[in-house]
Amino acid sequence: MSEGTPWRRIARSHELMLAVILAGILAFAGWRMPQFLAWDGQLNLSRQLWETALIAMGMTLVVIAGGIDLSVGAIMGLCAIAFGICHQSSQSVGLATVACMLTGIGCGACNGGLIAITRVHPLIVTLATMAAFRGMAEGISQGASYSRFGEHFGRAFAGQGPFGIAVGGWINFALAIVLATVLSRTRWGRYLRAVGGNELAARYAGVPVERLKFTLYLGMGLLSACATLISVARFDTAKADAGRGMELEVITAVVLGGTSVFGGSGRIGGTVLGLLLIHETRLFASRYWRIDELRQIVVGCLLIGAVAAYQALKREVRREK
Amino acid sequence: MTRQDRANDPGRDSGDGSGNTAAGGAGSSRGSSPGSSSGGTSGSWYSVRSTWRSPAGGRELGLALLILAIAGVVGFHDPVFLTGVVWHDILVRCAPAIIVSCGVMIVVVLGDIDISVGSIMALLAALLGRTLSSHELQWSVWAGVPLVLLSGAMIGCVTGMLVTLGRVPSIIASLGMMTLLRGFATLAMGGKNIDGLPEAVVHASKTGWFGIPLGPWAALLVVLATYILLTRTALGVRIYATGSHPESAGNAGLPVYGLRIFAFCYAGFLTAVATVVDVPRLPKIESGIGSELELFVITSVVLSGVSISGGRGRLSGVVLAVVLLTLVRPVLTFLSVGEAGEKWTKAIHGLFILLAVVSDRFSATMDRRKKSR
Repeated sequence: MSEGTPWRRIARSHELMLAVILAGILAFAGWRMPQFLAWDGQLNLSRQLWETALIAMGMTLVVIAGGIDLSVGAIMGLCAIAFGICHQSSQSVGLATVACMLTGIGCGACNGGLIAITRVHPLIVTLATMAAFRGMAEGISQGASYSRFGEHFGRAFAGQGPFGIAVGGWINFALAIVLATVLSRTRWGRYLRAVGGNELAARYAGVPVERLKFTLYLGMGLLSACATLISVARFDTAKADAGRGMELEVITAVVLGGTSVFGGSGRIGGTVLGLLLIHETRLFASRYWRIDELRQIVVGCLLIGAVAAYQALKREVRREK
Repeated sequence: MTRQDRANDPGRDSGDGSGNTAAGGAGSSRGSSPGSSSGGTSGSWYSVRSTWRSPAGGRELGLALLILAIAGVVGFHDPVFLTGVVWHDILVRCAPAIIVSCGVMIVVVLGDIDISVGSIMALLAALLGRTLSSHELQWSVWAGVPLVLLSGAMIGCVTGMLVTLGRVPSIIASLGMMTLLRGFATLAMGGKNIDGLPEAVVHASKTGWFGIPLGPWAALLVVLATYILLTRTALGVRIYATGSHPESAGNAGLPVYGLRIFAFCYAGFLTAVATVVDVPRLPKIESGIGSELELFVITSVVLSGVSISGGRGRLSGVVLAVVLLTLVRPVLTFLSVGEAGEKWTKAIHGLFILLAVVSDRFSATMDRRKKSR
């Protein structure tokens, strides 16, 4: 590693490292299994990505601000139940969608309010609300599942948009651009990084820390509700176990994308690459070796390996200086 | 996550003078440390009163009172709840969680977190089944069980080395291990369930000695050992010191990395112990074993008042919290809500933590107000 420069450039940009790994995997996949790279197949399999992506982008901002939201999966469960029950009693998809959104906002406000008022670490607050929301969803629904929401609803949230990309995909593109702009071009992006870097300093510098946190967690609730709508439309089923394990999948993507878990730095582009990397690796591992368990092993190794490599390179660079 | 919480002497609550350096409690999880308000009069009535007020001691009292109150109310509702059979069952159910919590608590006190214990348990259960089962390798118990215990410690050691030498934040390292080990566990099971464990192991796990199965005995032993380790040995003091401020501890010459690796190792080892004593009780070994164990354990550690940023927390609280959380499901079954009630278990777990969080906040605010007056 003595020649320095290329390593240094890669270490300086986590995105570049991810892009290189992603390109390597895609190249290997294309060499061993040419049909893997077919555009139609990729589009078809990308559907399962959109809910995760939606939440992961919001989570990037939360983690940059030094927080974490473990309750997103549980909010999805509660939103799905709200949607199902409202649809069953009113037979109106519109009303059910509103109920779903309101539930998401309510849950988000609950998280944000508790975190802003009690000032307890978000890990603990959202751990509690994760159990509470999931428990409420299970308790209210009693294991029931709701379905048959009609063609129209399915097409609106999970149908094909322009260029064959699903509606969820377009929502994601829009959100990615908006959030990336907010993060790099506006005052609020700076505030987020300031709070994540040193909350006390940010407070003394006049950043409205409490309002910022409340808005963040409220936004996570809203995004979880949107993700619920996409997933309910995709499966045409609403159950209490919607979004189970979502929190860990999302955090894996965010962290793999180079956002520091201690807050203060991170980019939307990294999260997008992290998501793609996990998605493609998983797909390829399970289709090439045809063993489903390998997906988990590969993703675990990828996560630990990428973060460890990044840390090692960073140290190397520091030593060279 | 400022590490301003001073290293509470784990055994006693009456602090020796106020070592609290709470300069602006903005980022702290628990405001200023109210334990320090007790002055230096150890053993006097004043320190007893401060036990009531401080979150550290008050938490255990609150948990114990809550357990007693729940038992009393449900027992009044249905006297069957107070019979030995029910409590025997509760004891057996909470034993593995208590054993694992002892390990995870030390990890948390050191400022790390371990969410991989459930997957470790799944992999070790597969290993246990594969080596001991009469349909598989048919090893002797004296070879299989030590192998499982050693593997548990080794897996913990790997996580610990990733966290310290690899500089991977503990939440990410254990998240990765959790995913990875779950995959290995499913792979090791080979898509089928394993049964036919040796009679001796099953007997110990189901009936045990003096009417109490192996699980509670092991839990008792582990709690005692961990208690002695934390309060009566130099290692325990070093753990609290390192957890409350790793940099200072390192500057003072403590082996910070060694301690953190030890903690992960210990947690892995205890998970192996829990696997050995509890898994044979089940009719067969499946790959889903231990799912959500990590959540249950972290929930009880948090509920017990162990500071998530390290340096504070006591074992008695952890044990009480596990018992309280285990109690919820049987209580819901006993109250005449019937089957439907059990589905609310998680909601009540969440409610307990929220209550703990809010009461902490409330008592901290009261304390500050009293001080400023």
